[in-house]
Amino acid sequence: MLFYLCKRLVLAVTIIVTAVTLLFLMIHAVPGDPAAILLGPRATPEMKAHLHQQMGLDRPLVVQIVTFFRGLLRGDLGYDVFSQRPVADIVFAQLPYTIELILVSIFWAAAIAVPLGCYSAMRRNSLLDESVGVVAVATIAIPSFVMAVYALLIFAVALRWLPAIGPGEGFVDGLVHLVLPSFAMGIGWVGYISRLVRASMLETLGENHIRMARSFGISEWRIVYRYALPLAILPTITVLGVGVAWLLSAAVFVEVVFARPGIGALIVQAVNARNYPIVMGVVVVTTFLIVISTTVSDLVNASLDPRAREKL
Amino acid sequence: MDGIVKNIDRRTLLKGGAALGGGVIASGMPLSQVIWAAEGKVLKVALQFELVSLDPGFYTSSYEVNVMNCLYSKLTHFKPGSEWGWDLEAAEKVEQVDPTHIRFRLKKGIKFTGGYGEVTAKDVKFSLERIINHKSGSMGELGSFDHVEIEDEHTGVIVFKTPYVPVWTITFPYASGHIVSEQAVIKATKDGGNFGMKPPAFSGPYVLAEWKQNQYTLLTRNPEWSGPKPGFDEIRIVPITDIKTAERAYQAGDVDFATISLDSLTTFKSNPPPDTKVEEHPSLRTIWLGMNMDNPALKDINVRKAIQWAINVPQVVGTAYGGQANVATGSIAPGIVGHREKALVPPEGDLAKAKEFLDKAGVSDLQLTLDCDNSGIPGIIAQTIQAQLSQIGIAVQVNAQDPGSFGTIGQESEGDRWKGMQLFIRNDNSLPDPDYYMGNFVKAQVGIWNWERFGSDRFDELSAKAVAIEDPNERAKLYYEMQDLLEESGAYRFLTNGATPIVYRTTKIKAATRPDGVPLYLDFTPA
Repeated sequence: MLFYLCKRLVLAVTIIVTAVTLLFLMIHAVPGDPAAILLGPRATPEMKAHLHQQMGLDRPLVVQIVTFFRGLLRGDLGYDVFSQRPVADIVFAQLPYTIELILVSIFWAAAIAVPLGCYSAMRRNSLLDESVGVVAVATIAIPSFVMAVYALLIFAVALRWLPAIGPGEGFVDGLVHLVLPSFAMGIGWVGYISRLVRASMLETLGENHIRMARSFGISEWRIVYRYALPLAILPTITVLGVGVAWLLSAAVFVEVVFARPGIGALIVQAVNARNYPIVMGVVVVTTFLIVISTTVSDLVNASLDPRAREKL
Repeated sequence: MDGIVKNIDRRTLLKGGAALGGGVIASGMPLSQVIWAAEGKVLKVALQFELVSLDPGFYTSSYEVNVMNCLYSKLTHFKPGSEWGWDLEAAEKVEQVDPTHIRFRLKKGIKFTGGYGEVTAKDVKFSLERIINHKSGSMGELGSFDHVEIEDEHTGVIVFKTPYVPVWTITFPYASGHIVSEQAVIKATKDGGNFGMKPPAFSGPYVLAEWKQNQYTLLTRNPEWSGPKPGFDEIRIVPITDIKTAERAYQAGDVDFATISLDSLTTFKSNPPPDTKVEEHPSLRTIWLGMNMDNPALKDINVRKAIQWAINVPQVVGTAYGGQANVATGSIAPGIVGHREKALVPPEGDLAKAKEFLDKAGVSDLQLTLDCDNSGIPGIIAQTIQAQLSQIGIAVQVNAQDPGSFGTIGQESEGDRWKGMQLFIRNDNSLPDPDYYMGNFVKAQVGIWNWERFGSDRFDELSAKAVAIEDPNERAKLYYEMQDLLEESGAYRFLTNGATPIVYRTTKIKAATRPDGVPLYLDFTPA
């Protein structure tokens, strides 16, 4: 286990170094000068040079990368000269909103999709199974931002049941404000996970130990939830771990549409303003987040499946 | 978990419980409205920008100025209404002593918060000079400003190197005119530089009570404010960068004031949400098609004129804005000194004449690129122009880029991209003075913001003269000629100045704006 965690840590560092270096090269290859954007039409070359110096953009690229990594080792993500605040403060103030959005989306997507997938598997080729299949594919096909816009129009504007924008204040209000955005993000996963659980469940239900359990006269529901599901759910857990990356991308759109805080909204603003320190800070944190989520999904897999535990 | 539990205070629990208890369905209100309904006079507005800095010397966007207006005093401020004008604010008197000297006398008793004392002439000097000393991006608003001479605690003389008339329409009533406390800023920043989102002291009717990035900015009354009290106890500013989301937020009742998009204006007018007033204001923007005169394909003036004459401006405006914006007569927007009555090239153009110019140039099968930013409207304009130019045999390839990339395409400091640039759509915001519109077309701006690479000694001479003429009628004549020069070069086809539609809830507020629709929150009153 310790070896596994060390291996994961090395992998995380490697991924972060690679991602950050690639991003550094990419953002400097893309045209657009933050000084020109920030200072606007009346900026003189002297003023732009001054801002370049403040942002460290006047130094060679290699020096900028090394400085960034050196800072990263000290837990310093840099400084945003636009707002005069440490990048870490900015990113970590936004991160909890994105994490709660992702977790709630995953939670309710799984809460609906897993029983649905199990039921479809148990009633294979029934009308309900066929219907769930059609709806599942339809929800997968609809992009989350389209779902976000329509959810907002229907439930916030037309029906006025739920708030349209923002994160809310306090726990209850915060949950109410999470309903629409998490619905928009999670709905595609309902279809995807239910299909995955169904396929996995069908495979598991055909295995010998399940047939053995049936021969003992154990009820079908008990067989499904006690014996089949813990095994059938393993691929889904792996997918959910990897799915955090997908959900982070979806969060960019959803946070903009619902005017929610979060690192998605933050990175859109930062990229448009060519605010490199913020872009770098967000990428480091999201890369780390993805590594953590895949590690957690592996650990959960291991706790459910002794065979997987042996491989750690 | 601990944090979550700590967040549930009695008030939150009661609010949540009450809301969830059925009040929502009974009242038909969204939860957010139910929760905030009973909290005094609160002005809730949408702002199409996330604040980055509330330092008047180092602000990054005009949206931040809307907020700064509430937090700091300045010598003068814009009057709300449909015509541009200004009133005294922190100044008791401001007078032009001679063309390069302006004397001001401050009202007594305006205090900074935090125990930083009264607003003095020394603070005015500091507020203006720090912009120059720190080479801030706001330097352009100060024109030829040199320094401030202090006469006594409340009196000073602002000295310019050369006469600078826009001081009355830009420097004083806009951003850089806000007065910050020298003592407080030095204490907070050491060198008097940018304090970003942490203002160390306030001198206006409101203070920044809370700022949560990408959530809201909360302004509450300044307890030390001795001037006229604004109408609301709190101003809650919600950053909504996507204008369509702002519209939905208004419709859902989450905000009571919002700027809406021009393509939604017809819908809002024909089917307005309940208790809503829709107002249309002319914008200060200037949107035009520019041509890189140094590009080989556009060096011949006949080619440029052919393009000018092939573009049907009302058609472009009709397509891009649903006919809700004006047809530009020049660069300078309506209501601003120097706004022309009509353009030299008729707005509808003339295809026959365009073809004549093209024949004169001896060009056929011309292929050009048209760059624009991908923010929506410029792309539609570009596609319309693409279709129009195809009528005279010019094939246009539209390149839509993100604003960060497009914003530097014509700048020499950004490499050689400017050389390949041919046609482009510029969509520039401005301030209510003609100098701000024309300043980008002088020779010194070639390769910086003068992407057409237009150069005219006469233009530069007029530009230098115009900033020193006080008589608006005489001043306007120079700007007419300057716009004529631009148009005669063939490198410009002025399209529109846009418009700014706003909506507000008449049962909650009476909005007040500048003539261009920019909100003046201090002048908002409860319904």
